[in-house]
Amino acid sequence: MLGYLVRRVAWLLGSLFVAGSAVFFLLRVLPGDPAVTLLAVGSSPDQLAAVRHRLGTDRPLLVQYGHWFGDLLAGNLGASLFTRTPVLDQIAGRLPVTVPLALSAFVLSLLVAVPIGVFAAVRRHGALGLAVSTLAQLGIALPVFWVGIVVVWLVAVRWRVLPPGGFPRTGWQDPAAAVQSLVLPVATLTIAQGSVLVRYVRSATLDVLSQEYVRTARSLGYSLPRALLRHGPRNGAATVVQILGILLASSLLGTVVIESVFALPGLGSLLLTSVKARDLPVVQGTVFAMTATVLVVGLVVDVVQRLVDPRLRGQA
Amino acid sequence: MTIHHRSSTGRSLARRLRPLGVLTTTAAVATLLAACGGSSKATTSASGPDPNATITVGSLNEPTTLDIVKGGNTGHAQVLLRNVVEGLTVLTDDGKVEPLLAKSWDVSQDGTGYTFHLQSGVTFSDGTPLKASDVVAALKREISDESTSARKKNLSIMKTIEAPDDSTVKVTLSTPSQSFLFYLTSVGAAVEKPNAGGSGTTVVGTGPYTLTSWKQGDSITLTRNDKYWGTKAKNKQVVYRFFKDATAENNALLAGQLDLVTQVTSPDALTQFENRSDFSIVEGTSTTKELFNFNDAVAPFNNPDVRHAIRQATDRKALLKAVWANRGRILGSMVPPTDPWYEDLTSIDDHNVASAKQLLAKAGHPNGLSFTVDYVPSDEINIIAQGLKSQLAQAGITITLNPVDDATWTDKVYKNHNFQATIMNHVNQRDLVWYGDPTFYWQYDNPQVQQWVKDSETAPTPDQQTALLKKVARQISEDAASDWLFLDPAIKVASTSVSGYQKNLTTDSFYVAPITKR
Repeated sequence: MLGYLVRRVAWLLGSLFVAGSAVFFLLRVLPGDPAVTLLAVGSSPDQLAAVRHRLGTDRPLLVQYGHWFGDLLAGNLGASLFTRTPVLDQIAGRLPVTVPLALSAFVLSLLVAVPIGVFAAVRRHGALGLAVSTLAQLGIALPVFWVGIVVVWLVAVRWRVLPPGGFPRTGWQDPAAAVQSLVLPVATLTIAQGSVLVRYVRSATLDVLSQEYVRTARSLGYSLPRALLRHGPRNGAATVVQILGILLASSLLGTVVIESVFALPGLGSLLLTSVKARDLPVVQGTVFAMTATVLVVGLVVDVVQRLVDPRLRGQA
Repeated sequence: MTIHHRSSTGRSLARRLRPLGVLTTTAAVATLLAACGGSSKATTSASGPDPNATITVGSLNEPTTLDIVKGGNTGHAQVLLRNVVEGLTVLTDDGKVEPLLAKSWDVSQDGTGYTFHLQSGVTFSDGTPLKASDVVAALKREISDESTSARKKNLSIMKTIEAPDDSTVKVTLSTPSQSFLFYLTSVGAAVEKPNAGGSGTTVVGTGPYTLTSWKQGDSITLTRNDKYWGTKAKNKQVVYRFFKDATAENNALLAGQLDLVTQVTSPDALTQFENRSDFSIVEGTSTTKELFNFNDAVAPFNNPDVRHAIRQATDRKALLKAVWANRGRILGSMVPPTDPWYEDLTSIDDHNVASAKQLLAKAGHPNGLSFTVDYVPSDEINIIAQGLKSQLAQAGITITLNPVDDATWTDKVYKNHNFQATIMNHVNQRDLVWYGDPTFYWQYDNPQVQQWVKDSETAPTPDQQTALLKKVARQISEDAASDWLFLDPAIKVASTSVSGYQKNLTTDSFYVAPITKR
């Protein structure tokens, strides 16, 4: 297991390196020069050159890359081109919005989607089961921003029950207001993620249902729910853990759209703003942080899978 | 761009090209005029205005920095200018340059020496008295190496800047400049307390408000400066809340989270607020010009007949109707009515498809013409693009629409001139003068126009400046340098409980001190 862990962590670091480099180079292939964005209309070529020099974007690409990578190893993500605020501080400032948002949506999706998914599988021929499957399919098909707009219009604009967006300026110092402002975004994200999860859980359950051990258990006199409860989780766990990993990652990425629809000052909106302004260090830092989170979640998932499923342990 | 670009989803027009700052400026505006007060239709209720009210303003244009000498892609002028920092002069809502920190000035005979007499009793919001040396430091910083301000180039004609005593500032220009006092109204030339700004996230000025917090990605809070030297603000606090999405902004207004939005950028959004007693829709004038521009230096646009043909194939009235339901007004040149050199030139190249076809044939394109149009999509520009496509088709002109993002537009069109035609809005006041710069992105090159623009700047009197620029406006229209479509209306939607906001959108600032709330 230790050897496996070491290999797995090495692989993680390798992936981070590749992902980080890809982000670095892709951003520089994109059209758009931060110096032009910084300057006003009608600036002279001299001014442009001076700004590029100050930003360091006039150096050869590989030199810039070397600097960026060296700083990264030292734990330094650089500073915003516009405000000179360290990128790490900016990211940290956005976490109190994004982390609760992504985690609550993740947990809520689980709580809602797992029972529904199992139900849909067990009653797959019943009207209710079919209805649930169809609704889940619909949830997957609808773009999340559209769901968000409809939810806002209905709940916040028509009924005025909850705020349509925004986050209290005092942040979590006013916990009630902070929670209120997250209700709709979390609900929207849950509809999107939950629908996907329902499909996964349904097919995982169907898989288990057709297994011989379930038939055997039933022939021994277990009721279907008891048979499932007793043998299902452990057998299906590896798949489910994997799905959870994907779900957690997609909850995090889903915040990019959600934060824009609900005007939340989180990581996703930081990313959008900085892409538009071509604030390269901020874009790089944010994407890198998100990628790292997703990869770490992937690592944890793999390790947990091996712990719960002895069949995987033989493979490297 | 608006050449005001910036930000946002590309949805707002005003924001376009803002980054480029000069050209655009959006935002809003305001003046102290009593007229402002009249802009709201609010009915007076028994309760009077609350002097300690908090006004919440929605905006799509969050600043990227609060450093006032940084230019380009930033919305700081809208929030800071006139509210937190003030200049020697100020641009009012109706386009006039008036005194602010300078109570008066003398100009030397040759037009190059300016002596400004400062208002007395002015302090920064932290209580330190304003000295002439602070003004000198601010003006020097505006043209220093660290400045990337929109007006840096224009203001670099300041050869010497001195403070002979604590209440006098003397500036010598390297050449006479009719626009100098106008340039001084820009945010970069405003006076801030030296060294009080910290890495672009705060600023201390002499204005009616103190900047109390900037929560990046969310809001900026201004609090009334009770030591203000002039008429104090009529509200206690103003919160600018920033949105990335116009729908989210409108929802916040509908749900009562906002008191007003600085500019409605999507015509469709208006229907939600029409016929509702709790909202006022106020229409004013703006300086945001929607342009269909050609790359005048490349074929086929280097032939004026082709440009005239395209203009005549364009039905500006139909476009305006489609986009703004006839709010706003069509344009015949690059001048909004609040610029001193405005003239109605809309009869030049009026809509005439038959004549457009003849001109095309004369130019050697009897079977029509096709070219590509780059544009940054927004609700408004999408409608314009589709409208142009079908209108031009009637004259045998086929256009291919190529939507691009802000940064790509800036790179491809603005910087590298690698385009055939483009749709863009230009936000700034007095930006006709770009037609005197043959290197500007549309590459219009008429030496006569360049000379007039140059002469207008050094003209001995404002009247002579105006006369010359009128000639420029007419000449570029007769040359069909661009296809000027229309001037956007300035539309604000506000809760009926607030009044006193400016209705026009003709300055870089959004002046909030006169706003009251019941």
